[in-house]
Amino acid sequence: MPSSTSSFERLTAADRPGVAQPVPERPVPAQPWGPIALAVVLIVAALMGAWEWRMRQLQLVPGDFDDGASAWAEQRRRIDAGNVAVAIVGDSRILFDTDLAHFEALTGVRPVQLALPGTNGRPFLQDLAADPDFKGLAIVGITEGSYFRDEVGLMADALDTYKFESPAKRSSHLITTWLARRLAFLDEAYRLSVLTKRLDTGWRAGARSPYGEVWKIATSKDERQTAMWGRIETDATLRDHARSVWVQPRPNSGVPVAADVIARTQDATREAVKAIRARGGDVVFVRPPSSPELRVHEDARIPRPAGWDALLAVADVRGVHFDDYPSMQGLAIPEWSHLSRACAPVFTDAYVRALAQYTPRLALRADAPAPMSPADCQPTEAPASAL
Amino acid sequence: MVFNSLTFALFFAIVLLLHSLPFSWRVKKINLLVASYLFYAAWNPPFIILLWISTVVDWWAANRIAQASNQWRRRAWMLTSVIANLGMLGWFKYGEFLLANFQALAATVGIDYQPPAFDIVLPVGISFYTFATMSYTLDVYLRRAEPTPRVLDFALFVTFFPHLVAGPIMRPTELVPQFEQPRRASMDQLRFGLALMTLGLFQKVVLADGFLAAPAEQVYDNTMAPGALDAWFGTLAFSGQIFCDFAGYSTTAIGAAMCLGFAMPDNFRFPYAAVGFSDFWRRWHITLSSWLRDYLYIPLGGNRKGEARTYASLMTTMLLGGLWHGASWTFVVWGGLHGLYLAAERWLRTRFTGYVPGPLALFGLGLFTYFLVNITWVFFRATTFTKAWEVLSGMFGFSVEAKPILAAVHLIAVAVIVGGILATHWFMRRRTLESVVARASPLVLTLVWALMAFAILIEQGTGNAFIYFQF
Repeated sequence: MPSSTSSFERLTAADRPGVAQPVPERPVPAQPWGPIALAVVLIVAALMGAWEWRMRQLQLVPGDFDDGASAWAEQRRRIDAGNVAVAIVGDSRILFDTDLAHFEALTGVRPVQLALPGTNGRPFLQDLAADPDFKGLAIVGITEGSYFRDEVGLMADALDTYKFESPAKRSSHLITTWLARRLAFLDEAYRLSVLTKRLDTGWRAGARSPYGEVWKIATSKDERQTAMWGRIETDATLRDHARSVWVQPRPNSGVPVAADVIARTQDATREAVKAIRARGGDVVFVRPPSSPELRVHEDARIPRPAGWDALLAVADVRGVHFDDYPSMQGLAIPEWSHLSRACAPVFTDAYVRALAQYTPRLALRADAPAPMSPADCQPTEAPASAL
Repeated sequence: MVFNSLTFALFFAIVLLLHSLPFSWRVKKINLLVASYLFYAAWNPPFIILLWISTVVDWWAANRIAQASNQWRRRAWMLTSVIANLGMLGWFKYGEFLLANFQALAATVGIDYQPPAFDIVLPVGISFYTFATMSYTLDVYLRRAEPTPRVLDFALFVTFFPHLVAGPIMRPTELVPQFEQPRRASMDQLRFGLALMTLGLFQKVVLADGFLAAPAEQVYDNTMAPGALDAWFGTLAFSGQIFCDFAGYSTTAIGAAMCLGFAMPDNFRFPYAAVGFSDFWRRWHITLSSWLRDYLYIPLGGNRKGEARTYASLMTTMLLGGLWHGASWTFVVWGGLHGLYLAAERWLRTRFTGYVPGPLALFGLGLFTYFLVNITWVFFRATTFTKAWEVLSGMFGFSVEAKPILAAVHLIAVAVIVGGILATHWFMRRRTLESVVARASPLVLTLVWALMAFAILIEQGTGNAFIYFQF
């Protein structure tokens, strides 16, 4: 390629065609680097201290982990170790609405939480069906709009990460978890670029605004115990934003799910159930609550008879739908889609007791806590506060 | 492991500590070698074997070339090295591509050929280290260098972690002599090295991943065809993203090496200030373009065998350079466009000898070069020709019915960041970073360094891979 005599301050290989390249020059500019470096350390420490303080003011807390593919893969590997009695797959509703500690207090079994936000539970049910190590009970959380589709959804990379996670990724996850136990600011939803993009409230007509994306609505602790973030329950601005996201118009809003998609979903579910039962395991379904404001949109896409009822019949499984149980009515659903933190144990209590009637794989302990009722959780309304 | 990960931060701290302890130079080099293997194994441990194969074959071939009694034997050993390296590269990187093209070719003559499943994982950085090791045997063959007497030095040249997976593509004569004498960074080298690493990570984590990747993805990974504004801003975003991603990697690598007391060459010289394409390729991915020039273009005849041969060599070099970036015809077109631009520029220079542009014309030619570079980026970024045509149609105003894609905040971010990159490159056109830093006020340096570090920390980089790892 062409080259010419260089007018650059420093020559590179580009200026020396066809010859052995010498050891590069890499001078250090003359500056008082010692004091500069010291000042940088002090300024960054001060800025980080202020940032951490501000994030804690915004109710971010240490010990709230980002729930990514690595965290999921870590839980999924527990099945490989064997003897997992109960695993939960599904989307964000069964993830938020299940209290693992209460589940354990009722049954003596602590489930492996494999549900994923924004993600179709069916491929993960199929993954369990294909795993000879899994011989337990699979609880499948259903949100029809998420389950009856061909796409995997938001966390499609979780299975790939489980199948191969590089040593570097695994160690980064461990280090991040260790740091997140101590620092509140480590939260994907409060990254610099994410906060910047949220300033755009839809300035350009017709374009998809980042304002319409899901903001932080959950906290995630050890074993992926997920619960509604406290500010969603107390901060009207954030709560209203979350609600607006769930009901914002989408290309498929109000469009009924196609019959062939429903048929494919039913067939795949039936085959997965068969495979798990053939190994001595079992499958049950749970439909967690959503508010009437959201339910009307969900039913427009796939009403209960065509979705839930038909699925149970075709796959020959038992299930717990919140419509059918008085103990699951009147629970607080602050942003219309997920239960409040206080109501998650109440719902868990109700659905575990119901499932125990359907499958011998779940039995209530003799010393199980007394049944809970919706009165044990109350919706909270608080005055709006600034974002 | 990637530079923008916590694993690397821990790894690098341990390497720095070990390198500062009072071990013998040989032990320190062994430490660096083991660390480099760990660095590579952190992606996929079995692929270390490829590094060993590359190391053993080239060490052996170069020694045989040096000992060979005649030219025929020298050539045979050189070809052994080239075939081994390109064979490895071809199998892992181009196997599936070749099979798919063979299948398509067979289909055109009515043969329904079903190739076997080719589920091969591409070893990270294989294009970089195969080129680095080949340069060793080729330099010995071309009598530009003597074989290194110590296998440890050669193994460390191949695997030295700062340059291993995404360059700069080092030549043996640039790095091996640095292993001969004990090297340890002075305190100022350590501090400036850390400052360079901060700059590189700022480019990658904050600018490329934080602000530019999303608009580029929304335009190029979208089923909707973009209109003029979105097509241009998506492409401009990618032009900024790929620069910040790749130059950010090189700057971090140079800084990491400096912290250990080693010098690595410049890989970028403010390329968006280029005026013309020969100038662009003296500024963009310098270590690759000079590698292709020295080991492909010049051996093909360069500009020594007449005009027609020169143009043919130029085009061959750029087409293969395009294919080096990825096993896809879109990359070949990207290389072909650069070849055409270089050929056109060469022709124009012969017709307008002695023309010296004034400052305004120079600026205009610089902008025109950047415009043409962006046309090539369309083929580099689009994964299919259909998408490339869609974006090009949008850029040239043929998609008048297109709906808006990018939110205003993305348009503003692209305008500010890419505008800032262009202004910086133009200001730095004839300067080096070091000369500007040397003249800067310590207060300004302190604030800039601290703000970049703070931005990296609060952006909380998610460890996204660098774009060039896939090449």
